[in-house]
Amino acid sequence: MTAFNRLPAPMGLLIDRDRPLAFSFDGKAYQGLQGDSIASALLANGRWLMSRSFKYHRPRGPLSLAGQDANTLVQLPDEPNALADMQALAEGLEVGGQNFAGSLDSDRDALLGHFSRFMPVGFYYRSFYKPQGIWKVWEPIIRKKAGLGVLNLKFQPEYHDKAFLFVDVAVVGAGPAGLSAALHAANTGAKVLLVEQQPYLGGALAWARFDLEGVRAGALRERLVEAVEQHPNIRILKEATCNAWFVDNFLPVIQGTRLYKVRARECIVATGAFDQPVVFRNNDLPGIMLTSAAQRLMKLYAVKPGNRAVVLTGNDDGYLAALDLHEAGVAVAAVIDLRDAPADGLLVTALQTRGIPHLPGHTVYEALHAKGMRHVSGVDVRRIVGEGQVASDAQRIDCDLLCMSAGYMPVYQLLCQAGGKLAYDDDQAAFSLSGLPRRLDVAGSVNGRYALDNVLLDGARAAGGATGRLGLGGSAEAIFAAEPRVNFDWPIFPHPDGKDFVDFDEDLQVRDIVNATRHGYRDVQLVKRFSTVGMGPSQGRHSALPTARLVARATGRSVSETGVTTARPPFVAEKLAHVAGRGFDPYRQTPMHQRHLEAGAKMMPAGVWQRPAYYGKAEERERCMQEEALHVRQKVGLIDVSTLGGLDVRGPDAAELLERLYTFAFAKQPVGRSRYALMTNEHGVVIDDGVCARFAPNHFYVTATTSGVDRLYQQMLKWNAQWRLDVDVTNVTAALAAVNLAGPDSRKVLQTLCNDLDLSAEAFPYLGVRQGTVVGIPARLLRVGFVGELGYEIHVPARYGEALWDALMAAGRAFDIRPFGVESQRLLRLEKGHVIIGQDTDGMTHPAEIDMGWAIARSKPFFVGKRSVQILEAQPLARKLVGFSLPKGASKPLEGHLVLDGDAISGSVTSCEYSRTLERIIGLAYVGSGQSAPGSHIPIRVEGGEVVQATVVELPFFDPHNQRQEL
Amino acid sequence: MAILQAQDFSERSPLYPRHVGARLGQLGNAAVVAGYGDEDESAQLQRCALIDQSNLARVGFRGSDAAEYLRARGYRLPERPNQAQPQDDGCLVARLSQSEYLLLGSLRDAGSRIQQEEAGWQLGDSANYLLPRQDSHAWLLLTGEQASEVMAKLCGVDLRAEAFPPGSVAQTSAARINVIVINAPQGELPCLQILCDRASASYFWDALLDAMAEFDGRAAGIDALL
Amino acid sequence: MKIMPCPLNGPRNISEFTYGGELKQMPDPQACSDDEWADYVFNCDNHAGVVTEWWLHNASSYWFLAERHTVSDEIIRTFDPKELFDRRVDFAQPAARQEVVA
Repeated sequence: MTAFNRLPAPMGLLIDRDRPLAFSFDGKAYQGLQGDSIASALLANGRWLMSRSFKYHRPRGPLSLAGQDANTLVQLPDEPNALADMQALAEGLEVGGQNFAGSLDSDRDALLGHFSRFMPVGFYYRSFYKPQGIWKVWEPIIRKKAGLGVLNLKFQPEYHDKAFLFVDVAVVGAGPAGLSAALHAANTGAKVLLVEQQPYLGGALAWARFDLEGVRAGALRERLVEAVEQHPNIRILKEATCNAWFVDNFLPVIQGTRLYKVRARECIVATGAFDQPVVFRNNDLPGIMLTSAAQRLMKLYAVKPGNRAVVLTGNDDGYLAALDLHEAGVAVAAVIDLRDAPADGLLVTALQTRGIPHLPGHTVYEALHAKGMRHVSGVDVRRIVGEGQVASDAQRIDCDLLCMSAGYMPVYQLLCQAGGKLAYDDDQAAFSLSGLPRRLDVAGSVNGRYALDNVLLDGARAAGGATGRLGLGGSAEAIFAAEPRVNFDWPIFPHPDGKDFVDFDEDLQVRDIVNATRHGYRDVQLVKRFSTVGMGPSQGRHSALPTARLVARATGRSVSETGVTTARPPFVAEKLAHVAGRGFDPYRQTPMHQRHLEAGAKMMPAGVWQRPAYYGKAEERERCMQEEALHVRQKVGLIDVSTLGGLDVRGPDAAELLERLYTFAFAKQPVGRSRYALMTNEHGVVIDDGVCARFAPNHFYVTATTSGVDRLYQQMLKWNAQWRLDVDVTNVTAALAAVNLAGPDSRKVLQTLCNDLDLSAEAFPYLGVRQGTVVGIPARLLRVGFVGELGYEIHVPARYGEALWDALMAAGRAFDIRPFGVESQRLLRLEKGHVIIGQDTDGMTHPAEIDMGWAIARSKPFFVGKRSVQILEAQPLARKLVGFSLPKGASKPLEGHLVLDGDAISGSVTSCEYSRTLERIIGLAYVGSGQSAPGSHIPIRVEGGEVVQATVVELPFFDPHNQRQEL
Repeated sequence: MAILQAQDFSERSPLYPRHVGARLGQLGNAAVVAGYGDEDESAQLQRCALIDQSNLARVGFRGSDAAEYLRARGYRLPERPNQAQPQDDGCLVARLSQSEYLLLGSLRDAGSRIQQEEAGWQLGDSANYLLPRQDSHAWLLLTGEQASEVMAKLCGVDLRAEAFPPGSVAQTSAARINVIVINAPQGELPCLQILCDRASASYFWDALLDAMAEFDGRAAGIDALL
Repeated sequence: MKIMPCPLNGPRNISEFTYGGELKQMPDPQACSDDEWADYVFNCDNHAGVVTEWWLHNASSYWFLAERHTVSDEIIRTFDPKELFDRRVDFAQPAARQEVVA
């Protein structure tokens, strides 16, 4: 191959001839121009071979030059599988080939092609599944041979983000239809977003030829693009891909490192159509490309695609492309028309006047090559004598470029995602779309309009419909001129020696598809899954239609009956970084957070909250936790319980609401007292608990579990939306900071800060609640016994939380106060046998299983779950939560370890810890009802399969008569 | 003069540890960021700035008697839910549902009027229940021409002025937490008042600053607002 | 993403809402049989057609009802629950102790 020179202007729309860029491919230095893609720059240097095929390692070059095929997958320093025809060239870029052994030019694995007959369709499925486990042996070998690029594991993540974008009309695709639609919509005042995948506007206007003279497209493009770019109502996103359509016109559009979440009131899809290859032997050789690709190469990059070209076409556009080639100085050796004649007879004259040979009713039967298959060297041309059949006499035409196009397939992917149905008219070989949702329309070639005037009109029609629905005026009425068909209905010419590729990504030949149907896969979806057709990077853009045709014929049906495979998002490969964006991961902190950090707390998550687990280093967890717990038993400790859920229930029906929601009775609860509050759902399952403090006849303050409060609040509102009680429920969880000041010295500490309340046991007894001030801060004080010591929960407005903490820590210094964390608190409450809802209960736990029968007011007319609790209580108890203990030094069970009953599993451990106070291991576990009596021995299977024999003991483990908390 | 610190007061913003390098001033019974550095921040505010107003008074009232109660106390109330009504003294009243109102204090009186509403309320027999918004929510002010574009990176509601004119209120989700957003410009300065869960304030502050970075947005103080 | 028209907040992304289950009539818990109660608690009709469902707008803690077609997923109408629940509901004291069949 000799180096191609660039064509003169006006060819080369995208390149800047004054800005050369040096780059390398597979270690060899090349020069391209600013505006080049990697592929165009390589082709300008005469370098066609860019990749090796997936299975047979055949040499491949660009096919579509529009990012729609897998032939240009290359390796970038930080990115595998980059599309060379989409990736912009940059100075110093180091590009490599992928999927080869040795070098891209002489790939040792290309020998695999000779074994293709031994690698039939379904080869992997059928060859490596026996004996069991053999796939594990073969997998690494096959993955290496059929691999794609290599990841750079030292890659530093880039900043990716997302942003919503709100528009009246989103137009996907900036070809003539899209430009027309955008302009018409914007002129009515609509805010329009125009999304274009390529770095230029105009679509085919930028590279295709629409008339004999070749003048119309350029002038039209200039006019439309200028109008669109200057329109104040149009926002343009270039090099942006609309990767899916989701319900209500929610469109993910990827541009650079950002994913736009476009919400459009109206959406017009003008995505165009894909050029379709012709299937014949060796149709994958470098130098064989879609006709549109050769035109793009010339018009966009000023690269001459070859010296001697053959054009194989199924419609009139191939003739026009031949004129383009001719004008660019490429000798056109023949225009081969699959049809018997073009629709426009003037095209034949045009060829004749230029001396271009014309072969109607013919096809390329085989592409020829020199040794090494590096480039096409000629074609074997034959007369078509029947559907897919050719005459036996051949003529050979030498060429170094073969442009092919059998017709067009609409870019229907987004529309199918929207529920549109793609129909195929077997007689006209034409597609149509139906069943689109409201506020989504199509325009241009995706809608079956190919003649330029029709395309422009179709854009205006779609825009009119959209703006009409938006109330901006406009209508979707239009009358279209008839136009010739663009698809040749059977562009498939099987060859006895194969290599007639239907799917270039997956190296699938005609016989692979036919064989799949012989294996019994008649449904095109099953053919896809068995043969992997359409599952490669180009997702069936070029293989779906020939596959449908082959399956139709092999199963004696029409293409319309066979259908095509489903197109799902994403439209092109997208990075996980795009999907992740900034990865919002909310967390909540209490007002005392800063103090915990300063005190060296080891923080742990509690739902979305961050809480101190204990104060100290991670490796000293056990010591810290035990010392903190002991300190509370012996002196005084302070724990931040701000995360505890809090609800203010106020109004004349406050008590009535609680009566209905909780199992206990509250109507007669005295002001100034608290009560335990247990909640069941309608299934009778325990879902939350807390303390219900009554501050006034019409005011209760109810605490709830940290993780349960939001849901509980929602449920309360939902119930009262039906009951219509005169009550207000407010979630004050974050509004109140709270601490539990606990330990024998807690009263002494509080007394130094609290001068408007009598804290004596008589005036403020256990379970009493008061409102007062602590260091002048308005506070709700609750005497509670969760950890089993004299203690005060102090709830204050969040703005004062840190000041309260500071005051208590300062006042407590004289009493050797120390903060304690959640882990210590869990140990303390375990010593008291208190259940934590969600830890010691599960989705089945009903009150009797956790000995909470005492917390149910059975005489109430109703509470949520009452009927279910009654039914459950009437049944024999299947399991029960009990306390157990093990001697110090025994293997400590962990949460979730199983309790056994003979060979059967009877329950599991829910909480377990060593207690330094009690000097033994204590825990809670569900056991079979026959194992629940105190003194029973329960086998627990711990880590490593060891079985320890624990003893069931009466709860609480510590201070059985609860004297300490009532001091 | 001793340099003012947030911890000189017992009322503290959940964001005070984030105010590194700020110059503080006093606002009611708490500290507030007056500015960063000595430069006038007006241009920054016009471009893109974030101000912590968590120590400025705010309170809510809800119940079938709330509207009557507030009217009797001299407030003009929005006609419909999700609208906000500026008061003559700079306070702002937002209506969040048929029977719920949010009162936002003004810098002009250092929030004292609204602070008194909170202090003066008592639970009685009427259906008018105080909601402790100053403690349940942090209050941020996002200013500048780019405010709605910043929010578009965090929030699925169209907050551009054409869709969300001054006086609009949106109760929605931003950066995956619940927020109340109010379009309340101050003269020529576009302003979104944002109230978010107080416990999530640090998280949300960082998420906002991250979203603001591409617009050269940064934290600022209240001086440039006065 | 689907849009849900909230009666209080207007059209919003469905991610701002929590599904609250189908609207169901609770049988009289005092009078119904165990089977009727179990049917109410555990079973759903899974009706192919228009159903009425509870939805919650999370940010405003607002519950409302939506009529949705379960086949097309089209939301036909949303409305405030006051339309259906227009008066206070009370539960009577049980006349006699409920027989519970195990």
